[in-house]
Amino acid sequence: MTRRAGFTSFIGQRWAVMFLVIELIFFSSLAGGFFALNGVQIVLFYSTTLALLATAETFVIVTGGIDLSVGFVMGFASVVSAKLSGAFTDRGLPPDVALLLAILITLAIGLLPGLVNGLLVARLKVPPFLATFAVQGITYGISLLLTQGSAAVNVPNLANVIGNGYLLYLVPGHGISFLAAPPVEPGHTVIGILPTMVVVTVLFIAVCAFLLKRTKFGRHTYAIGGNIDAAVRAGINVNRHLVVIYVLSSFLATLSGIIYMLEYVTGKSDAGSSFMLDSVVAVVIGGASLFGGVGTVWRSILGVLILSVLEMGLKIMGVQTFDKYIAVGVILIFAVLIDQFFPELIHKED
Amino acid sequence: MGDRALATNRGRAPAPVVSVLGRNWAFFFLLLTLVVFSFTGKNFFALNNFQNIVHLATTSLLLACAETFVIITGGIDLSIGFVLGLSAVSASSTMQVLYAAHWSAAASILVGIGVGLVSALACGLAAGVLVSRYRVPPFIATLGTQGIAIGVTYHICGGFPVWYLPPGLTDIGNAYLLYIHPASGAWSFFSRPAGVAANQIKELVRVFPLSFFLIIVFLILLWHLLKNTKFGQHTYAIGGSMDASVRAGINTRRHLTLIYVLSAFLAGVAGIVDLFQTGTGNFTTFGAQLELFAIAAVIIGGASLMGGKGRVLASVVGVLLLKVLENGLNLSGVEPFYRYIAVGLILIVAVVIDQLFPDLF
Repeated sequence: MTRRAGFTSFIGQRWAVMFLVIELIFFSSLAGGFFALNGVQIVLFYSTTLALLATAETFVIVTGGIDLSVGFVMGFASVVSAKLSGAFTDRGLPPDVALLLAILITLAIGLLPGLVNGLLVARLKVPPFLATFAVQGITYGISLLLTQGSAAVNVPNLANVIGNGYLLYLVPGHGISFLAAPPVEPGHTVIGILPTMVVVTVLFIAVCAFLLKRTKFGRHTYAIGGNIDAAVRAGINVNRHLVVIYVLSSFLATLSGIIYMLEYVTGKSDAGSSFMLDSVVAVVIGGASLFGGVGTVWRSILGVLILSVLEMGLKIMGVQTFDKYIAVGVILIFAVLIDQFFPELIHKED
Repeated sequence: MGDRALATNRGRAPAPVVSVLGRNWAFFFLLLTLVVFSFTGKNFFALNNFQNIVHLATTSLLLACAETFVIITGGIDLSIGFVLGLSAVSASSTMQVLYAAHWSAAASILVGIGVGLVSALACGLAAGVLVSRYRVPPFIATLGTQGIAIGVTYHICGGFPVWYLPPGLTDIGNAYLLYIHPASGAWSFFSRPAGVAANQIKELVRVFPLSFFLIIVFLILLWHLLKNTKFGQHTYAIGGSMDASVRAGINTRRHLTLIYVLSAFLAGVAGIVDLFQTGTGNFTTFGAQLELFAIAAVIIGGASLMGGKGRVLASVVGVLLLKVLENGLNLSGVEPFYRYIAVGLILIVAVVIDQLFPDLF
């Protein structure tokens, strides 16, 4: 291969990273306060929910499926956890116990939509698009019923403390403290470093990335997406694996909903309505193929960052946020066209 | 296509009754819901209510027809819901500007309609070229044009419905062919009889909304196009086997482009209809999921996402089933939120029937 082809290949494989860098340079020079500790932390904080959904979607898309239900499962989880924690506190439980119980129960309930999806797709051979669309409608209906169409706001304030807390607090000249803001006299500034929810999200994503890349579970996932017949012949229990994939996706969406509840201290049935497609877009920008077999968790997270840097940058610049959608549409088409024209450039290493 | 499949089934299948039932289960289910809601729903079984259901289903019917063509080719069009909004908003903004510039109401409305339809066609052309020429998967191509349509729509309207339009939009959009006032015996075409005062409007019997004309014309044209023309045969052929169609000499590129343009055009018409029915230029909200409901209706009508299967009239039954369900549950006093659950369950039933008894279809 000539040097020139090597160069295009280098660009082709890394266009998403380069695009993100260009975005960062662009907004740092044009949007005041964007490239500061606070700006970066806000982008990361804002990305947490979408990042978990995109991780969920990555697993499903690698198997060649799609999960349209993640957005509303997320809303459903935010509603259920908010309602439960409110109800438990009303019954006189201390807020920490109430919150913990609510989160655990929500995580358990959140497995159900995935189980239904998985059984429909794996056992009854319903196309994933339809199965998850139907389940999406059902979860949305149930969360609307629970909230009667409004938001669930009866959440203990502890959620706010956890959801909007930082891992480290730095008081210039006075030292640092972990997890809780130190009491200071007025006049001192307290700098929060690393939002707790970002840390939690990164931990979960790291586990998922490991799961997909380094384990037998991950290899089977790629095998099913690459060629399902070959996977069957290779002795993989495809049906069981697919069920587990959709349950995992639903679990991550539930987690995303719980993090949403902690961050915004509400439960909203339509919390993730625009995230449903954003998560697919992020995964595709990350280079995954909707036909299955290709895609990694970290690349999808790159897609998420491209989307949220774009949105936050435009917001800070005062551009109408609606214009974000034009940019997202163009980037999406651009991503797929690159994929179509230079497939060997992009997927060579995968 | 459908009829041939039925005929071969009749040839060897022992129970044609089961086959007919299975193939048209949505239709029978629709009849069943009509009967049930007639008992449970307050004022459900009434001329007025039935006219309302179909009148309010106009846009959904157009969207479902659009999706039928795309799904038969084995594709999917996720953009139509927002193309509808783009068409309505660009048409109404044009009307607003022209009317404010002292154009006559008729001229500004006509130019507005033209602008709305052209904006829709542009979306369809973009999606079609991406799918046919650049081999972008339809899911992604139309997701991309959807994003662009959303952005342009909100850019035009700023996130608010477009008001201050020329008068007379809703007079056309919500008019009925015939108005009868039983008490006085007065009747007239197209508007309230001269002798009937505004406070007697509730006593009027209104027959045949004008939107029915539009629906009937479009359905007949599209049904004919799909069933009896070369265009329709090629559509089924492409969905059945892309390679075979190429080898059979079909210009698949041009045909696929046309399919997406047709789909966007129908969505554009739906946007104009919405504008005439509501009198405002409404953008499509994110939770609306118009395209997903259209896809659901088409699938309930027996089409397959793999392509090669689908009928216009069956998709119409799918739309009516969803609309009757919504209306009937509402009039029976069920909370509106159950509608989403009901649609989800019916969709699962539809697809599971399709999967378990493929030979019926």
